This record gives sequence, structure tokens and C-alpha cells, in this order.
Amino acid sequence: MKIGVVTFPGSLDDGDARRAARIAGAESIVLWHADPNLHGVDAVVLPGGFSYGDYLRCGAIARFAPVMSTIVEAARVGLPVLGICNGFQVLCEAHLLPGALARNAHLHFRNRDQRLRIGSTASPWLRDYADGQEVVIPVKNGEGRYVADEATLDMLEAEGRIVARYVGENPNGSMREIAAIRNEAGNVVGIMPHPEHAVDALTGPSVDGIGFFTSIIKAAVALRPASLTGARA
Amino acid sequence: MTIADHEKPDAARGADAAPTSANGSAPEEPKQTPDKASAPQKAPGKTASGKASTPKSDKTVASDKSAASDKSAVSDKSAASEKTAPPAKTAPLGKDAAAKSAPPKDAPAKAAPAKASPTASKSAPDKAADSAKNPGSAKPPAAQQVGAGKPAAVGKDASSEVPAARSAESTDSAAAMSDAATAVRPHRPSPTPRRPAKPTPGPARAASASTAAPTLAAQEPAGASSGGTPAPRSGRATMVGESASAPIEPAPDGSSAEPWQAGGRGNTPPPTREGFAGTDTVARALSTPNEPQPYRELGLADDEYEQIRSILGRRPTDSELYMYSIMWSEHCSYKSSKVHLRQFAEKAPRSDRLLAGMGENAGVIAVSDRLAVTFKVESHNHPSFVEPYQGAATGVGGIVRDILAMGARPIAVMDPLRFGAIDHPDTARLVAGIVGGVGGYGNCLGLPNIGGELVFDPCYQANPLLNALCLGVLPTDGLQSKNATGPGNVVVLLGAKTGRDGIGGASVLASATFDANSAARRPSVQVGDPFTEKLLIEACLELYAANLVVGIQDLGAAGISCALSETAAGAGTGMRANLDRVPLREPSMAAHEILASESQERMLLIVTPENLKAVFAIAEKWGILATDIGEVTDDGRLVVWWHGEVVVDVPPGSLADDGPVFARPMREPADLPLLRVDRAETLPRPKTAEELRATLLRMVASPNLCDKSYVTEQYDRYVLGNTVLAQPEDAGVIRIDERTGLGVALSVDGNGRFARLDPYVGAQLALAEAYRNVAMTGAEPVAVTNCLNFGSPEDPTVMWQFAEAVRGLADGCAALGIPVTGGNVSFYNQTGPIPINPTPVVGVLGVLANVAERVPIGFQNDGDLLYLLGTTRDELCGSEWAWVEHGHLGGEPPRVDFAAERSLAMTIAAAAVRGQVTSAHDLSDGGLAQALVESCLRRGLGAMIGLPNTVSPFMALFSESSARALVAVPRGQEIAFTALCEELGQAHTAIGTIHASSENLEIIDQFTVSLDELRAAHTGVLERHFGGVAASPTA
Repeated sequence: MKIGVVTFPGSLDDGDARRAARIAGAESIVLWHADPNLHGVDAVVLPGGFSYGDYLRCGAIARFAPVMSTIVEAARVGLPVLGICNGFQVLCEAHLLPGALARNAHLHFRNRDQRLRIGSTASPWLRDYADGQEVVIPVKNGEGRYVADEATLDMLEAEGRIVARYVGENPNGSMREIAAIRNEAGNVVGIMPHPEHAVDALTGPSVDGIGFFTSIIKAAVALRPASLTGARA
Repeated sequence: MTIADHEKPDAARGADAAPTSANGSAPEEPKQTPDKASAPQKAPGKTASGKASTPKSDKTVASDKSAASDKSAVSDKSAASEKTAPPAKTAPLGKDAAAKSAPPKDAPAKAAPAKASPTASKSAPDKAADSAKNPGSAKPPAAQQVGAGKPAAVGKDASSEVPAARSAESTDSAAAMSDAATAVRPHRPSPTPRRPAKPTPGPARAASASTAAPTLAAQEPAGASSGGTPAPRSGRATMVGESASAPIEPAPDGSSAEPWQAGGRGNTPPPTREGFAGTDTVARALSTPNEPQPYRELGLADDEYEQIRSILGRRPTDSELYMYSIMWSEHCSYKSSKVHLRQFAEKAPRSDRLLAGMGENAGVIAVSDRLAVTFKVESHNHPSFVEPYQGAATGVGGIVRDILAMGARPIAVMDPLRFGAIDHPDTARLVAGIVGGVGGYGNCLGLPNIGGELVFDPCYQANPLLNALCLGVLPTDGLQSKNATGPGNVVVLLGAKTGRDGIGGASVLASATFDANSAARRPSVQVGDPFTEKLLIEACLELYAANLVVGIQDLGAAGISCALSETAAGAGTGMRANLDRVPLREPSMAAHEILASESQERMLLIVTPENLKAVFAIAEKWGILATDIGEVTDDGRLVVWWHGEVVVDVPPGSLADDGPVFARPMREPADLPLLRVDRAETLPRPKTAEELRATLLRMVASPNLCDKSYVTEQYDRYVLGNTVLAQPEDAGVIRIDERTGLGVALSVDGNGRFARLDPYVGAQLALAEAYRNVAMTGAEPVAVTNCLNFGSPEDPTVMWQFAEAVRGLADGCAALGIPVTGGNVSFYNQTGPIPINPTPVVGVLGVLANVAERVPIGFQNDGDLLYLLGTTRDELCGSEWAWVEHGHLGGEPPRVDFAAERSLAMTIAAAAVRGQVTSAHDLSDGGLAQALVESCLRRGLGAMIGLPNTVSPFMALFSESSARALVAVPRGQEIAFTALCEELGQAHTAIGTIHASSENLEIIDQFTVSLDELRAAHTGVLERHFGGVAASPTA
């Protein structure tokens, strides 16, 4: 099982995502932004950070990286993709997920151990969680406020695509407390908090984040990417 | 795997994977796909296309950057590359880069016509430089390569050659890189970098150049000494005369290579100018010896100006004057502090761990056979007052580059911050800006912020203190040198373009007292771009891993001036640099501005000619500029060319090392005796238990004792995944080896009030507190850094405070047996006549063999027994209580007892390893009361406390006696723990138990206060002052 982690210029949590993949038992592969080849990975993580310095808009430049064109294509036919923080922003910019991430309502960067409630487990990234389970995973972002139009928000709720919501104080003003969403097929998940920072009790507030990585390993063992979902090409 | 190894794959995977993964655990590495070859990354539009345009000359576009033709060439090329590869589709970086740093399109139009002929002589140099680097293949003078006034041709060439050049380059650079690994070694400096290195035999550039350029005869000194004899340094007048006379000979024509090979300024007639409107060259300085110069405006004293004249044997040029004024400024030269700082070396205890100490960019300490760490704290106080966000941001950026220059990967930052009164109208502006800047830069660099200080005191009202500490890790054999060894080696400028920001930052801003005109100094503050710094870090680490660097120096204060002179002076060599090659943000910059600019995110590399291509390839991979701007020489002169003329010709050591040294007058402040008899022990104290309870609640809500998460939540503490402890813990703990659990602990502390009452003791108390904080985690303290923040050294009482503080710190380090490894002095911290409280900030680094055994401050388990370690005395002078409750500052600060500190540290370390303590919290500001509250609130566990009866309950709670700690011992371990204390002679008193279910802090026979009430008082204080509670527009 190979999990590829993309490094864009300005990616910061790429090493952490690779470490989390290893701890979960996967082989972690470095994917370079300028190399469109995915090197046979079974799943991809777009890590946190400030790709391209967050210039223009968070994620707006990264989506044009050569590796992204391959990822977008592969994701449409079922490749599991997890976008964390800046990765979530990239997925929205790449239109793999609806909505956008805007500046935190309080205008500050905020790093906090955050309680979340898992809202949907219908995704290969969420097998090891239970619906309604509460977890503690750090948030750390300056532009993590999820926004979308009412229709989109209603649709996400109706289709059970809100993967996690903030519990307690909303750390950034996200609409409907949205912390994470998935695409229709479930193979693409964007999450603002950082599961890769909650995989080791020594360095994180909990080990609640490891489930994202163990889940995808189980999913990949069960099925090859192309047949994971019924999504059309 | 270790962090150091861990990053190698990231950084070095393009070049070579294997060498240092000795510990073998890297499953992912082999998979990494070399990107450099495949990278269709149009990367830095300009680097890529620049290389393509001059494929034979080993130079980036920036390198053929002469005043005029280059500008047009660049933009033509940019245009061309945009046409072939629409950035929006396939070249994000190119697009980004173009947007960010491509020269303005209108630049060439302005510059080209006027400079037509310099153009010819300017682009020619590249060719000849190239030929010089390949002795024997000297090409004919290359004036025809870029025809004057025909920049368009260059652009066309560039675009048509792009594909071929690129593919060739890819393979070449791969080959060059593998070559590099072996080929570079002989050129690496000897392991004793302090010794003035003999020039390693570099390719005889000068020799081949002499065949190419007959006029080189004029440059006899360089040519003559190319046999390998280093010219004597600071030869003063005679040498100056010789080499100064050389380049001023008008060159017969401009048809030669490097400007120094051309031997003159081409066929440009000597510019005629009124005053200083044009370029002031060495030639002009000789012909106008008595021209008045604005040295006083630049911060130079009369005698300093005379000294410069005597060193040069003539008046300095404008550029030289700028360079001396910056390099001899207080900030760069330490002229007032040098005589005192020597004590750090003289009194330093021996340490086998010390790999590099004072005088380097940062001290380096071995923490295992394979790994070393480097750390340093620096100030950026004045810029942070003038322009808080950028001042703070670039303060972080600067210290990070210091650490990077040592060969280390930066892995954490800390930020001791000091502001005026919390309710002063200006404080909110400064807090928002400075905290925002620290976070904005550090977060974007991906460095966890693991601690610091946040202090409010009116003495910092118009002079906030922004100190920044950075920690880095490197292989023990990976130390980089800052010495420019090896004549013939190439001087490469890496990173951002040079702009007008930060000019005079060191001299005008950092080395003068604030006054009403301070706002006008905003242009002296640098502007930071953390994204570029992140790329610079990755590029440098990849260069180190591939052994491509002979010497490296960061560009900070004094910019290029400092880097050129320090690298050359360090090696005892000379240097020639051509400013025309420096990539500029603003093409109209003058020579002295380029030399003085403090633009951020730049490094200076010394590279062997054969490695140049590999260096450029790595720079291109990371999308940053690398430009050959000159070469190392063996003539002991720093010669700087601009538009074909020599604008600087000085002995580099005279800038870097021979600045003035002052033994400034010192005098104890007149008010000190009176201040010291005004003891806080005489102040009214709370009399009843109820008053004591109310006092506690006010204290924990006071600005310096309240919860700091409003600030710390604005910093990323998780990134890199090795943060084991971070604020509000006593010390930050970072794991540096995932395999063994090896880690380091770091704390920075200072107390300006104690230092005001007694600077000697105050500095020692800061040291003791930082030492104690590190020890609380279970770590063994091993090294010290410091940032000494003081008022104006021209005030004898400030100088006295400084001298006392340094003496105290040096004595303290000797007593604790840990050396000072580096630091920083910040003078002139005052607005108007009143200086800040003397504020020595001390950082202590400790080693933790296994971070899993670290001890946190928070209570962990119900029923654990609480012990107070150390002795509590009636010590309230300078305390937080006296300040908060009475606004009082007087008396003598608490006693320092280094033996007790050592005993305390040993006790915690031993108990931590044996599992005899579950939490440990040092007692300092706010005394036992504060420690109890913080330990309870950390995880929400209550406690029942019986105060010791040796002092009054009030004194027990609020005394700030040093060498004390609050520890929790698990039941069943108490006998072993007390036996350990007795064995080590550690005073200890059982004072209660953790009482999880009560959710109260109960002081037996005094009062009970619920954790909720404590939390309500302790938290939210900063939010209330500075806003920031989210107005959440939740749908």
C-alpha cells in the first residue's frame, strides 16, 4: 500500500503526512509538484502548508501544478485523495470539492486542539471512524473558514457529505461548523484540521487522526483504486 | 530516523539519496523521483530562461545582468517563455515567479539607450568569466555576443534555444552533481575555520584572463600574487595606493571580459557630476580628496571618519563610506560591547560539546555522536516598533538564516516579546503587528513556535522588544564555514532580488535612539517574504547535502557589504564583485544602495567553478535566483565594480574586524542606592484569608501572569511533528531523533525589573530561570545564548548596567558549568532620555536523552504527592506581586544560588529517569501561587495544599525566591524520591496532594477557590485587551 504525499513549493506538513502514513503501516511516497507521474500510489495526500506562499489565493496556484492535472484525472475515476488544510484549499480550487476556504472570521491564525464530530463515514478515508464519533484533532490555519452558497450547503447536508464538524467554539467561523467534506463518490475528502498531527501521543493532543490513514490502507487492500467507486470518468 | 536525515530525502532527493541515511530506516526514500531532470517546471521564469539564454556561460539570467541590456533581455525572455508556456496552465511557479519578481516590463526602455556601451562591456564579462573558469579555452573577447543596443537578439536566442538548452542542461547538471560529490571535497575548508586559510589552489582565472585582456597589466597586484601568496591584510596606505591606482586607468576600449579584466570602465567617459549625483568611484575619490562627505548623517563620528581615511590613504567613496558606516555601526561591530563580551569566552567553562562558539553565526553543540544543534537569539527591536509586522517577521527570518548558515535545518523558533503597559493605546497596535509578524513568518516557514515570553511593562512603551530565537539541527560533520577560501572560487548570491528596503537598518535604525522622527525611518525596515525563505532553506540544505558549498554567509544587517567583507576577512582572502550582476528589484538603485540593502531572503555562497552548474541546478529546482557576482581572490582586497568602474577597494578585514572599539565611560545610576533601600517587604500585605484569595485571583489575571494562549494560538506549534512540549510549558522540547528519542529543551527568560535593581544579579536570575526551566523537563542544560537589550551605550549609567549584566552572566555560566555559545547585543533601546530597564534575555539549551521521559508542568494523576523543592525566603523586591498590587519597584532582587540550581536540576533529571515525578513546574514570576494555578489548570486537576510554616502563608504563596520548583510524585515513589533529594542535598517539603475530583485549589486553613473561578480570572485577559474573539458569522 503506497500513499503519495505531494510536495509543492511551500508545503510544510508533507513530512508529517508521510510520517503518519508510515505509522499507519503504509509506504509513503514523495510526489513532486512538477512531476505529473504518480508513481503507482494507491492514494494521495495533499498536505498542509503555504503552497506557493498562498499568493493570489490559497491553493489557487498549486492547482495548476503538473502533478495536480494527473491527480484531478485520477480522482475522477476513484483515486482516494485527502486534502489537509492547504490541501483542502487546493481541492476546492481544483473543483474536486465544492465551496471555498476564506479568511478566519476573527482574522487571526489559530492553532488549537479542536474537538470534532465525525458526520459521515461513507468514504474510504473514514472506515475506522463511527458516525457521530467525537475526536480531538488540531486546527491551525489562517484561512480555514468554509464557505459555500446555501444550496451547496443544503446539498452537502442532504447527501451526508459533511465528514466532520467543529464541536464547541467554531475556530474560524466556518459555515454550519464544517470542518471536512467529501465528494459525491467519497474518494476525495478535504479536511481543515490536521489528522497527521494527531497520530502519536508524544507529539500530538491525541491519536485520533491516525484513523484516516489506517482507513485508507484497509480500503486499498480491499479494492484497487479504479474500482473503489462508481464514479464516472 | 533523525530530523537531519529526515530532511535529506526531501531536500536532497534530486541530487543523491544515499549518503547520510546511515541509520537506514528510510522506506520512502528510494521511491523519490528525481525531479530535476523531468521538471518541466518552468520554475522561476527568469532563472530558467536566463540559463537558457546563456547556456555556455554558467550564469543565470541575473548573472548577465548588466545595467541595461540585461533588463531588456530578461523581460524579452520572460515574454518569450510566457508565450511558449502559458504559466496559468503548465507553469504555476513560472507564473508566480513572474508575477512576483520578473522585472518590470518598462525597465529596459528606460535603461537601454543611455547605457548602450557599458552594455557591451558588461555582457562580455560573462563570456570571459566563463573562459576564465575553463583555463585554456579562453574565448576571444565577447563583445559581440550581446551586441550593444541589440537586446532583442538575446531574447530571440533565448526562446529558440530553450528546449535544447534545457535538455542538455538536465543531464549535465545531473552529471555535474554526481561529480560534485567527489570533486568538491578537496576544496572544502579545513576543519579549523578560524585559522586564516591558505588559499586553496583554484583555477587560475586571473592568469587566463591576462591573456585575454592585455590591459590587465594595470592589475598587477592581483596577477602577481596569483602564485598563491596571500597578500598581507590591511596593508593600509601602500597597498591601497597600488590597487587603487590599477583599475582607474581608463580602459582603451570596452571589449574585454569581467570589468576587472577590462581594466577600466570601458569607453564611457568619466561621468561628470555635480555633488553626488553620479557614481563616486575610487578614481574620483582620488581626484577629489577633499570633497565633503556626509559621514555624520550616516552615524560615523569624526574620529571614525579619520580612521577610514587613514586605512584607505584617501577619502572613501560613497559606497565605501556607506559600508564602513554600517559595518562599524554599533549593531554590526559591537564596538561598545566588545570589551565586555570577551568575558564570555574568558570565563567560559570547558565543554566538549562545543563545535562552534562565539564569533560564528551561531554556536553549535554536539548532542550525540552524529547530531549537533545550533541556536541563537537575536533582537529586532527598533524595526518592530517602526513597522511592527515586518519588523517582527524579518526578525524571525534573520535569525533563521543565521541558523541555516551554520549548515543546520531550522527546526523551531521562540519569541521573547516585551511591550509597554497593556492598556496603553499604542500597545494594541504593537501586539497585533508583532505577534502577527512572528506568526506570519514562522508559520509560513513551517517552524514550530515552542515558547517565549510575553511581558508588559511601561518601560518598553515606545521601545518594544522583539527577540527571536531559532534552533537548528545538523550532522556533527555538516558544519558550514563562512570563509571565502580558494582564490578563483565563485561568489554566488542566492535567493531574493535586492531592493531598497532596509537601507541603513543597522546604522540608522538599530544604532540610534528613537525620537520624534522615527516614523520617517520606516523605509529602513526590511520587508519579508517567508515563501522565498522556505525555498532558500530547502535549496541550501540540498546544496549542503551534495557538498556543493565551500563557504556560506547569510545576508542580514549590512547586506552584501557584510557578507562580502566577512567571508573574505574570515578566510584572509580578497574578493572581486560586480554589482551589475546583482539582481535588482529596482533598476535605478545606486551602488551604495545595493551594498547597503538589507533585503531579506538572500545568502552568499562560495562555490568552486566546477560546481557552479550544479548549484544553479538546485537553485532552479527550488525556483530561486542564483547569480555569479564575483570571485575570491588572493590579494587581500575587497574590490567592488559598478558600471565598469571600481567603487570599493578596501581591505575586507578593516570592515569586518578592525572597527573601532570603545571602552565607554560607566557610572552606577545615581538613583540606584535610593531605589535599593526602598524594599518591597515593607509594603502592605493581605491580612486575611479572604484578602489572600482575592490577591491570588488578581495576580493570575494580571498582564504578565495571565494565560497567553491568545498569542500562542497564533503560532503553529505542531508543524514538523516533533514538538513534545511547547508553551505554556516551562520549556519547549523538540525531538531531534525519532529512532532514539533524543531531544533538546529550550527556554528563554529575562526579568528587566530585577536587572534594574541589580544588573549583575538580574542577569544571573535570568540565567538561573532559563536553566531551571530547562531542567524542569528532565533535560541536562548544556549551553547558553543571550540577547542583551539595553539603552544607549553613550549613557554611562546604561554602560554600567551593561557591564554588570555581562559580568553577572559570565560568572553565572562559569558557576553552572555551561558556556555562552553566542548572542546578540541591542543598544539604544530608549525613546527620549529614559532607557528601558536593562533586559538581558537568556536562552538555555538542554539535552534530553529520551523525550518520552520529559516532565510536563500540568498535574497528571489524582493522589500524587506535591513537594516544594528549594527554600522560600522573604523575597518580594522586584516581584510580580509588588508590581501588580503596588506598582512598586525597589529593593534588592532575590538571592541567586547556583549550587542550589544545580542540585535542583540534578534532582529533577534523576527523578524523571526513574519515573519519580509526574509533573514539575519552576517557581518564578508570581511564586508558588502562580505555579499551583498553572499546574491545576493545565489539565483541570485540583489540589489540596498545606503551606509550609517556615514563612507566612502570604510569603509562601508570593515570594519569588529562586532555585525552587513544585513537583508531583506518584504514590509509592515518595520514599525513593525523598531519599534521592537527601542524597543530592535538595531541600524538599511535602505540601499536599493532587485532588482530581474536587475541582478546587484548596489552601488548607486559608481559602478554597474553584478551578472554574481560577480559569475565568486567568484566561481571556489578552482577548479583552486586544480583541480577537471571533464574531462568528455561522450560517
